[in-house]
Amino acid sequence: MSSQIKAFDAKVLRKTILDMAYTGSTVHIGCAFSIIELLAVLYRNHLRYPGGDPLASGRDYLVLSKGHGVMAQYACMRELGWLDDNHVAGYFSDGSDLKGLSDSRIPGLEVTSGSLGHGFSVGVGLAMGAKLRGTDQKVYALVGDGEINEGPIWEGALFAAHHNLKNFMVIVDENGYQAMGSTQEVLNLGSIQAKFESFGFEAMTVDGHDEVAIDGAINHLWGSNTDSPKALIAKTVKGKGVPFMENNNRWHYTRLDPETYAQAVSAIAGDGQ
Amino acid sequence: MRAAFSESLVRLAKADPNVLLLTGDHGYALFDDFRKSCPAQYINAGIAEQNMVGMAAGLARAGFRPFVYGLSAFIPVRVVEQIKLDVAHDNLPVIFIGDGAGFVYSHLGTSHQSTEDIACTRAIPNLAVYSPADRFEVSACMDAAYQSKSAVYFRMGKSDRGDVHDEIPKAKIGELLKVKSGLQGDITFIATGSLARTTLDIASDVYPDATVWSAPFIKPIDSQQVMSICKQSRVVVVFEEHSVLGGLGSVIAEIASEFAPVRILRIGVRDRFSHCCGTYDYLLKEHGLDRAAIEQRIHNFLAGI
Repeated sequence: MSSQIKAFDAKVLRKTILDMAYTGSTVHIGCAFSIIELLAVLYRNHLRYPGGDPLASGRDYLVLSKGHGVMAQYACMRELGWLDDNHVAGYFSDGSDLKGLSDSRIPGLEVTSGSLGHGFSVGVGLAMGAKLRGTDQKVYALVGDGEINEGPIWEGALFAAHHNLKNFMVIVDENGYQAMGSTQEVLNLGSIQAKFESFGFEAMTVDGHDEVAIDGAINHLWGSNTDSPKALIAKTVKGKGVPFMENNNRWHYTRLDPETYAQAVSAIAGDGQ
Repeated sequence: MRAAFSESLVRLAKADPNVLLLTGDHGYALFDDFRKSCPAQYINAGIAEQNMVGMAAGLARAGFRPFVYGLSAFIPVRVVEQIKLDVAHDNLPVIFIGDGAGFVYSHLGTSHQSTEDIACTRAIPNLAVYSPADRFEVSACMDAAYQSKSAVYFRMGKSDRGDVHDEIPKAKIGELLKVKSGLQGDITFIATGSLARTTLDIASDVYPDATVWSAPFIKPIDSQQVMSICKQSRVVVVFEEHSVLGGLGSVIAEIASEFAPVRILRIGVRDRFSHCCGTYDYLLKEHGLDRAAIEQRIHNFLAGI
């Protein structure tokens, strides 16, 4: 990704999400906020789109398996010029294209997800395809920690390791929450890194809001000389950036009103990160 | 029939290196030729059907032409959602082979029997449903599925019932194929899959004036042709080794009721699971799908009109 386009500034990205969520009166703000820095680093430093074309053949693939966080990806796509201000202003209006979950008919979104545990396997297939073709394409599958309750994730993990898909990286957004509560309360995951390691992945855990650390971890994993698929476990905060949303699962479901919108915008503007 | 399937698959794979076979650890001897001829195009995805279908979607996105093989109890029934969302929604050219449809696994019980697979798949947009009756229809349908470049569920049932054609039919997708001429305005039989041969035998022996059609394509189906058949028939009987709910009988009844009302008898599985096990023929009998029971039902139906 050429750096002169735009900077994928986390504050700008979060502001775009707030604008979309407020305009469209939508939910799923918290799970978009937890993956902002991850997406910013991926789009800024790692994802290769020849000619800047979201449909370019030979591109890397970012598979948003946790489709609920799609507003974060929309915000990045706006930075890339793949979406414009009308998409933001018209979000969720009747007859509009951008849905509340990832839909691959939008160039830039690789999979149709939202039903959980799907995108990971599609990503494994893309990685297998690149391996069979002998290309150097890389595949990133971004999954939620709640999402890895789903069985197909672990089916795909076995396959990726068995077939040495070293071009495949799963990134787990470990924000600690799923729909009905904390992951610990609902279905305790234990150590996600240890689980992927036991499946044959090379895995690292990183602060998912520290862009330098994320970038370093991704480079470290790709720099590995093993044939293993990679797992990046990102410790994140659901709702990151707006104190009254952080670690508050209500913001998986709550819509902004004029007051909370103003408070959130102001919190982000004042946030030093 | 399975030999015709294997031959078609090997032929397509040799001609197009993008053809891949994915199996969920099934098809032990069936794929010997394929593995020998095209080893690099063979992927055993393990006993993990959900991931296999998602991967097939990814491979199709990367330009490959995946054939996903499993028993029809699993492909498509276990993975209906992956087929819907990962494949059909985005109109990807993945072909799903559901083998052993109906009561083929007669001794194994409900887990391996599949009489709801057509109903589960035909309501999914962008997904075609094929159900060949003999080895000739298998070859024709394999070519049609490959050439369609879209998602297809390919249903393969009991394979040793005998042919209904003398050669590979030149079938347009959606077309019903006449396998026996009869008297216009009399009774019409429409069958799909494994029951086509039984249907033809009943017609030949008991209803010589009946016209018999085989329906290798459940969806899309040529509704104009179905309307025309229904208009030219006194009564229509539909035969399938599938539930009477949502299968070919439903397809014909839906079209007829809107455009060409005619009395229709649906011969199929009457919304029940198998109780016992035994030979394939025993199980057909348990479900009233043996020849004698079918003849009796037709007789009773005609007597009641």
